[in-house]
Amino acid sequence: VTDAAPALAPDWLRRGEVGLCPCGCVGRRRKGNFVDKTLAGAARVMSDVMVGEHTARGPGLLQRLDARVKVLTFFGVLVAASFVHHATVLAGVYALTLAAAALSRLPLGRFVKRVWLFIPVFTGIVVLPATFNIVTHGHVVVPLGHWWFGRRIGLTREGLDAAALIVTRVAVSASIVVLLALTTSWPRLLAALRGVLVPRMFVQIIGMAYRYILHLLTTIEDMYAARKSRMAGGGGSARAGQSVVAASAGALLGKAHALSEEVHLAMVSRGDRGEARTLATVRATKADWLWAVGCALTVAATIGVDRVLGH
Amino acid sequence: LHIPDGYLSPETCAAGVAAMVPAWAVAGRRVRRTVKTASAPLLAIAAAYSFLVMLLNVPVPDGTTAHAVGAVLIAVVLGPWAAVIAVSTALAIQALLFGDGGVLAYGVNCFNMALVMPAVGYFLVYKPLTRRVGLTSPKRALAAGLGGYAGISAAALCCGLELGLQPDLFHGAHGQPLYAPYHVSQAVPAMLLAHLTVAGAVEFALTLGVIAYLQRANLPVLRINHAGVATNDDRRPEGVPWRFAVAPIVLVAFATPLGLVDNAGAFGETNVRSGAVAFLRKNHLSAIPWGMNRYAGFWHHALFNGYDFRHDAHPAVGYVISAVVGAAAISVAVLAVLAAARVVQRRGRRPTVGASP
Repeated sequence: VTDAAPALAPDWLRRGEVGLCPCGCVGRRRKGNFVDKTLAGAARVMSDVMVGEHTARGPGLLQRLDARVKVLTFFGVLVAASFVHHATVLAGVYALTLAAAALSRLPLGRFVKRVWLFIPVFTGIVVLPATFNIVTHGHVVVPLGHWWFGRRIGLTREGLDAAALIVTRVAVSASIVVLLALTTSWPRLLAALRGVLVPRMFVQIIGMAYRYILHLLTTIEDMYAARKSRMAGGGGSARAGQSVVAASAGALLGKAHALSEEVHLAMVSRGDRGEARTLATVRATKADWLWAVGCALTVAATIGVDRVLGH
Repeated sequence: LHIPDGYLSPETCAAGVAAMVPAWAVAGRRVRRTVKTASAPLLAIAAAYSFLVMLLNVPVPDGTTAHAVGAVLIAVVLGPWAAVIAVSTALAIQALLFGDGGVLAYGVNCFNMALVMPAVGYFLVYKPLTRRVGLTSPKRALAAGLGGYAGISAAALCCGLELGLQPDLFHGAHGQPLYAPYHVSQAVPAMLLAHLTVAGAVEFALTLGVIAYLQRANLPVLRINHAGVATNDDRRPEGVPWRFAVAPIVLVAFATPLGLVDNAGAFGETNVRSGAVAFLRKNHLSAIPWGMNRYAGFWHHALFNGYDFRHDAHPAVGYVISAVVGAAAISVAVLAVLAAARVVQRRGRRPTVGASP
């Protein structure tokens, strides 16, 4: 499995960049051409989808479980992790997610990289100033001199505790979600969401939106590849670039709307009356029950150890 | 703007979901009522579009790029309720598949980007600004851009508040923060600084640019949410109705007795004088420039000296009367100037009328 993944998604396609914020709205302001970066973003989305679909089909512990059970148990662990007040407990939970990834035969290095590269590293940078006694008051354990307007500066134990806590919690949460995404194929995940009482309408829209994303993504790639092939030399001024982006976003909106009209007519002609129907869902097996009990015990142990460690 | 899991306490996350459930319910019903069976494909397309807009990099003048959220853009084109569902769906796909934004924090992220952002941008900015504006008017595109800017700023403010409340509400026994470590006074400025400058400008540019493009190239798409809007501007006389100009003045006039609350005269300026002397004394300065001292009493023979009759037993009555007389005097002066201007204008117009035959 580990060797087959690169064949599906070559390395140049998966090349990421460490940004300040994965959503890009705050950080990720690397100098570069907007066309290249949009194409890279599109490639990242495609490769994430491909890798997820590929690993979800592989043999492994989590791939065999019912998606509903996975969704519920992972949600439980996620909630438990958000209540934990000790970084050591969270580190233990993180080790368990690594074990689960290994048992599911996910490529461990890639799993760790995908979890850590964006969110926890970013979190570490963000909470770094909070470890100083200027932000978080408390016992200074690492004195760093008197350079801040003559005040004593240092890292506080409270600040370091808080930073470790938030970084480990973010890492655990991200691991759980990535684990779910990598071991569950999208249709099963949608069926599971429907199974856990998410409104059908919403699930139907998510499912359709997902397919439209992949479809429209190729439209964007075509438009931008065409643009790139016409651009000899630099990308021109930022203003010209902005009008290009606005025009392509507008054109995309027009195409998307035309597509939705066609899909709507196709649905109506096939008898759609605005109600979502699905095929029957599968039954939970013995493995599912075992897994659910294991997760319940993990949650209980996590909360219990956290309480025993106390404040 | 995407808050990952781990930054917010579970209580905050639950509050976010609780706030979004009624919004989703209302949005779902509204959308279904307006577009009936077409709602599912239309909303799915809108969600896919919202996802992809966050993928499009917009160049920023310093040579870098950033991306927009597009919630206000979708609100303008497909309607605000469609925007609520579309952005929520896009956020769900991002959280579940790409780890962008948390699963537990999903409700809060939706509240910021799928509810506050389109609501502020569309209802508070875009709608009021485009009441009588034609569909192809540049003013409409500008209003949409401003809506985008206001929307993302409001979302950033909410995000900063949510993060900033964490250390005050949820901390350990020694006061160490359990979730996001920064206080409101640190989180809100940090969020606003980033979004009022770069992200806000990008949102403004993209929203304005797309609406302007649709006005040029694809008017039918723009008509989806603007069914009854005329293509061109209403040809009403340009300018602001006079009552809009007078209303604030009347408001201020009725607010003048506020000075009495301070028991110090109009707008408390007598306080300022004694305050200045006190300030000088505190700093061991006794010198008032002689010119100031000499001319301080120069106007003491005025009719309402100090907004009051001289040594009046009822300073409040004197104050109000002086305010009324003053306002009347200024009004008469302004009307006189206007009348004079009108006379001059008429005189200037007459010869041209006579010269034309």
